[in-house]
Amino acid sequence: MKKTKLGEFEELVLLTVAVLQKDAYGVEIKRELEERIKEKLSVGSIQSALKRMEEKGFLTSEWGEATQKRGGKRKRIYSATPYAHRVLQEMKEIRAGLWSVIPQPAYVKVNY
Amino acid sequence: MNQIKNISPPKWPLKILRFFLKKEYLEEIEGDMEEIFYDNAERVSLKKARRIYSWEMIKLLRPVLVRNLDFIERINQYGMLKNYFKVSFRGLMKNPVNSFINVFGLAVAIGLAVFAYGFARWTYSTDQFHENKNSVYLTTFFANRDGVNQQYGTTPRPLGEMLRHDFAQIKNVCRIEDRNVVMKYEDNVFHQRVRYVDPEFLEMFSFPLKWGTAKSLEDINSIILSQPMSEKYFGDENPIGRTILMVYGKDQSKAFKVTAVAKEFPKSYTIAFGFLINFENFRTTDPGYDFQDWNAFVNATFIQVDSASDLKTIKAKMEKYASLQNKVVKDDWAIESFSFEPLATLHERSEFIKDDISRSSKDNYTSIWFMVIIAIFMLVLACTNYINIAIATAAKRLKELGVRKSIGATRRIVIVQFLTENLVLTFFALIIGLILGYTFFIPGFELLWDFDMDFRLIDVRLWIYLPIILIITSIASGIYPALYISRFQVVAILKGGVKFGQRNPLMKVFLCFQLIFAFVFITMTVMFSQNTTYLSNRGWGYNQDDVLYARVPDQSSFEKLSAIMSRNPDVLSISGSEHHVGKSHTTTVLHFPDHDYEVDQLSVDPTYFETLGLQLKGGRVFNEAEGSDQHSVIINETLARTLGSDPIGRTFRIDTVQYEVIGVIKEFHSYEFTQLVRPIIFKVADKADYHFLSLKARSGADIEVYKALQAGWSELFPEIPFEGGLQEDVWGFYREKIGIYKLVWRVFAFLAVSLATLGLYGLVRLNVEGRTKEFSIRKVLGAGLKNIASSVMSQYLILLVVVLVVGGPLGHMSAAWLVSFANTYHMPITYSSVIIAIAVMILLVLATISTQITKVAKSNTVAGLKTE
Repeated sequence: MKKTKLGEFEELVLLTVAVLQKDAYGVEIKRELEERIKEKLSVGSIQSALKRMEEKGFLTSEWGEATQKRGGKRKRIYSATPYAHRVLQEMKEIRAGLWSVIPQPAYVKVNY
Repeated sequence: MNQIKNISPPKWPLKILRFFLKKEYLEEIEGDMEEIFYDNAERVSLKKARRIYSWEMIKLLRPVLVRNLDFIERINQYGMLKNYFKVSFRGLMKNPVNSFINVFGLAVAIGLAVFAYGFARWTYSTDQFHENKNSVYLTTFFANRDGVNQQYGTTPRPLGEMLRHDFAQIKNVCRIEDRNVVMKYEDNVFHQRVRYVDPEFLEMFSFPLKWGTAKSLEDINSIILSQPMSEKYFGDENPIGRTILMVYGKDQSKAFKVTAVAKEFPKSYTIAFGFLINFENFRTTDPGYDFQDWNAFVNATFIQVDSASDLKTIKAKMEKYASLQNKVVKDDWAIESFSFEPLATLHERSEFIKDDISRSSKDNYTSIWFMVIIAIFMLVLACTNYINIAIATAAKRLKELGVRKSIGATRRIVIVQFLTENLVLTFFALIIGLILGYTFFIPGFELLWDFDMDFRLIDVRLWIYLPIILIITSIASGIYPALYISRFQVVAILKGGVKFGQRNPLMKVFLCFQLIFAFVFITMTVMFSQNTTYLSNRGWGYNQDDVLYARVPDQSSFEKLSAIMSRNPDVLSISGSEHHVGKSHTTTVLHFPDHDYEVDQLSVDPTYFETLGLQLKGGRVFNEAEGSDQHSVIINETLARTLGSDPIGRTFRIDTVQYEVIGVIKEFHSYEFTQLVRPIIFKVADKADYHFLSLKARSGADIEVYKALQAGWSELFPEIPFEGGLQEDVWGFYREKIGIYKLVWRVFAFLAVSLATLGLYGLVRLNVEGRTKEFSIRKVLGAGLKNIASSVMSQYLILLVVVLVVGGPLGHMSAAWLVSFANTYHMPITYSSVIIAIAVMILLVLATISTQITKVAKSNTVAGLKTE
């Protein structure tokens, strides 16, 4: 976490990869993430996030199967490295820590 | 899976992708893209899926994914070119004043060039939206009526129908004729012009419909409205099925059913309509309309053919109709031949075709030339500014040049370097110029003239045009400085033995040329500006300020209105006429024993001259006694001049009737000053033909009389809208137009003056800066302001004298030529414009130089001595 920065969008993509497991290739990641954040994403943004994270060591990838729909071209299946899992866990904890010490806003008390 | 083969993504984005993307990512990303494409193709339309695919491909071009374009760096000259760019940026930043002068001057010039392009495009796009523009032709004929073979745009009435029957090659024929009527729907009653056309009209001309169908025009009870007319009568609602009443005679009317409304017309057109009805309606609305009369003409007959060769066949057989026509009509109206004008170019040819329906403005085509001339002038001014400043600043670049040359730069390379720098600078100017044109010149002009030029940045030709301007300008301004600076020898430079910059004699020549150029331009703008003032004050040749007119349908309404108005104490005299100056006339041929003349004819009553203030130059006006002077005419000066020394008493024939000239009226303008005064004859009007009532109001009471006239009319005829006004308004927006011209010329004059000032300022500033040490020494030795001023001034004084001596006559002659070329009637050419320009020039030079003199006078002497 300290040495290599993980952007907000990158984190989302990384989590999606972790969720999808064996199905984690470009199109599927895009579909899944679009569904969750309810927004259209471009192939370019997903791909550049994947490539950046691969460079930073969050992801590894290997060739998958080819289908006719893809014009006979192979998929590339991504998987999160143990290092990525550790970073994700760390980030979650930092966030949880921060959330727990946010004082309850005054208006919340008045309303309820 | 077979279906998939039929639907496939577009090819070109893939090519881009394969070029730019890193090789190792290609297979994966291509596969992803294709998968998404086929998914989309199932969900949405194929077209949309393709669009998404292409757009996504473009969005893929991101730094992470794009391969290193290191092969570009491997190009030998890459490093050097990069350095040139860097050096030119630094140069621009280092001399902000000079850069501003250069960039701003070029930007204004390029802005004007962009504007000129936009205007030319707009003008030439006229009527180009018609899909059939290349297969639709206007039938025209040539006739020799007064010694000149003239093309006419009207057609004998029966010809259209005959062509339709006789030629299988002709696909469509459409006759067009206009009439003035009153259109009435509930409380909306207005005078309108209605277009009688054959139902093929909408098939031949592309006017898409907003509501309804084009076929409905086949029904003679249908009417088709334009978008503005629909709004005028029905507001925003859909008027299909409504009934609108057309009042065409005094008490005659016909109800039409609205069956279609056209979409808004494109921005630039010459043929359009407000109301369309079937041509056959003439059978009911005008029982006297003889469809078979070769003596009468329709406004226009268009034909549509399939190919140009068909047209040739038709043309070859047209002689038959010419002889058919000539057999029937009187000799005056004999025609030579028929010919066809394609719709696509009709708007350009329109000025040469008489009475042609498209009436496009000749002014627009002249204006294009003017704008091109002005844009070129500005470009040349800006380029000379650049050249002068570049040469003057060359001294500052000497060390750099010496180093470059000693590490192996050849002269050619140095030239390339300077040209590259110039390209960068011009490119900046181009961008600013484009913004200037797009946000200032074009909208400003549109606002002035109240039209929409429909200028778009997405226009292929614009993007061809701009780089051409870029290259021409950067070479024109950069080539001489580049050649000049690159000439110096390394050894001489490094030894410090080269003296140049200010000493270059050519620089003086350039400066001189530039100032002469600016001077000529200033003279022109001054003269044009003066001419517009003159035109707005030029008399019309009669008393247009106190005269009012009203259109009346017939004699009885004339008499009623005349009775009411004669009771008004502000009304000095009332006249009736069939035609009216500035509003209408008819055309006749006069037969003199030796020559025939085609003239404008106005039929008026004997008091008409008195009422309008038309002055008699010789002879007499008509007798007021009823029935007299039936065979007399009064002519205008133009015709009198053509007839020779003593026109009074000369006789001629119209048809078979003999007439005698009894008087000559002083020159007057029926129509705008842009139109040459035509030969005119006045005849006594038959009372039954009265269509105009004109009256003279007591001076200053014209507005009250106008109100009384309107009130009197609506009292008499509440059903018919009033049609009339002040005589000074018959030229429409002429006065406003002149005002706009005045403004435009002043803007140009201002731009020319500021460009010239900027250039001079930059040069003087450099010159004075280069002599800082000299001036400091002078000051130390006791020189006062006077001494310094004279030492700065002396060299420019000689220059100024040369500029005025050469530029004065040149400016005067070219301005005088241009003014007389551009105007049918212009001010008497005097030397006043050139004198004003000389004053402006002297003021400008002195003011520019004195700013620098004060700077020297105020500067710190000690700091000045320490420079270098």
